[in-house]
Amino acid sequence: MQHLDEGTIHAWLDGALSPEEAARVEAHAAECPECAAAVAEARGFIAASSRILTALDNAPRGVIPAAAPRKRVDTFVWRIAATMLVVAAGTLVVVRNRGADERSEATIAATAPSSAATSSVTAPVPPAAAGRNSAPTATELSPQTTVTDKAATATRKSTIVPAPAPAAVPRASLGRADNRFSGAGLRANQSAPVAENSAVMSSPAPAAAPSRISDVAAQDRTVGSETLREIARPRRIGASVTVYEVAGDTVTLTESKSVALESVVVTGAAATRQAAGQAMGKSAAESRRAAPATAAADSQRAPAAAMAPTVSAPAVGAVAGGNAGVVSATPANVITWSDPTTGSTFTLTGRISVARLEQIKARIERERAAAAAKKNP
Amino acid sequence: VTDVERLFRTYNAALVRYLTRRLGDRDWAEEVAQETFVRALRQTSIQNERAWLFAVATNLVRDEARKDSRRRKHLALLAEEERETMVEPEETTLERAQEAAMARKAVDALAERDRLALLMREEGLDYNEIAEALELSPGSVGTTLSRARRRLVESYEALQKDREAREKNAAS
Repeated sequence: MQHLDEGTIHAWLDGALSPEEAARVEAHAAECPECAAAVAEARGFIAASSRILTALDNAPRGVIPAAAPRKRVDTFVWRIAATMLVVAAGTLVVVRNRGADERSEATIAATAPSSAATSSVTAPVPPAAAGRNSAPTATELSPQTTVTDKAATATRKSTIVPAPAPAAVPRASLGRADNRFSGAGLRANQSAPVAENSAVMSSPAPAAAPSRISDVAAQDRTVGSETLREIARPRRIGASVTVYEVAGDTVTLTESKSVALESVVVTGAAATRQAAGQAMGKSAAESRRAAPATAAADSQRAPAAAMAPTVSAPAVGAVAGGNAGVVSATPANVITWSDPTTGSTFTLTGRISVARLEQIKARIERERAAAAAKKNP
Repeated sequence: VTDVERLFRTYNAALVRYLTRRLGDRDWAEEVAQETFVRALRQTSIQNERAWLFAVATNLVRDEARKDSRRRKHLALLAEEERETMVEPEETTLERAQEAAMARKAVDALAERDRLALLMREEGLDYNEIAEALELSPGSVGTTLSRARRRLVESYEALQKDREAREKNAAS
């Protein structure tokens, strides 16, 4: 009888042979040392391969072999987030006219080639439109453009004059703004050497100025009908953060999950992420704080900047003048509630009144409920 | 098939293990296993349940690989989100992680048919069932399995030797 082939030996050891065949193989293996050795080897292979395969059983979850695409998706998401930040910030540079004393609150808007798709420079306007509080003589000297941001929910218009010299930027807030944004995926901003403390960060165009918005007062009343737009979802461990835009303001909704990972290990990355989540609101407010340079002062500086646009900075995103005493920043209001069904805690933060926060909360809850209903009808 | 619940209870564990070993990802494996049972629901009659289930699961994996990766990307994102909120449940020692990595490598090095036959055999499918699921002739299953086992063990041992050599180098 010829020697057993390996397949037959395995079939025999696996009990896959008919009784007659099995008897034949057994008999041969008993009298042929060569085949007996092959059987022993096959037993070894069977046992060893079982053992090796067992090592695969504690495969981690969620390691779908798409590691490379996943990373790309990440960058992609951040890129979208960054773009939205730029667009949204351009949209919602907030200027508020508070009280009856006609204090002018200037703030900053900037347009950039990169966001040109969403913004259009409509036309130069007569200097008189520059705002009642600006010094007329100085303003007349500066070229002006009215910028209409199509992304804006309302037709808010910013009157723009060229930026004051970067030297006017308070150093301290510059540094802070830089910290907040670095590491948050908005790498584009890091290279901008000046003028970081505005809501519009990555604009590479030297178009920036205090501006004046007249119809803000109306927005407070219309919050119910305004769209609640999700503009960013900064990632954060242990919580989901959503930044909404409502009527030209940003509010940050934080849903804290039950796992308090961050309270155990706060890494630098986590801290920056968190900062990034709040950065928009903060920077908007900060520019509000820093922005209200007296119109006269800005207007006087403006022509100089206009004549010499070769200010060394490649990116003059937006620049705020000093003289912060005119209007103090609106403090951030916070409301907190918890969802009994999920046990999550929600925190809604925004530099708007508590009443408006409550309105927004109601909207968010309605929309979440609607989304949940859609998911499991 | 009305007794899909019985099918599930009888075969789910083996099917998920098979798919986990095949795919290297438990979430994905569970998803494919569930889809397999959903298909079984639609079936009026199944001759050999186990062979049918493993064959369908195997085809689903194959189809999935061909399909666009949209769904997988989505899942990967979801899984990542979930992982961020999750503390690693059990500690895997370095030793075990290295063993798993080598096993993965060795299994991936096999030819697809050899790999599937071996993984099915490990879940207790007999030669006829394996032949049916993989559309092989029953007579060739022994050869397929013997080749798969030998190659798996040999490449695993080669990887082990590499590692030991590296560790020795590192130590000296």
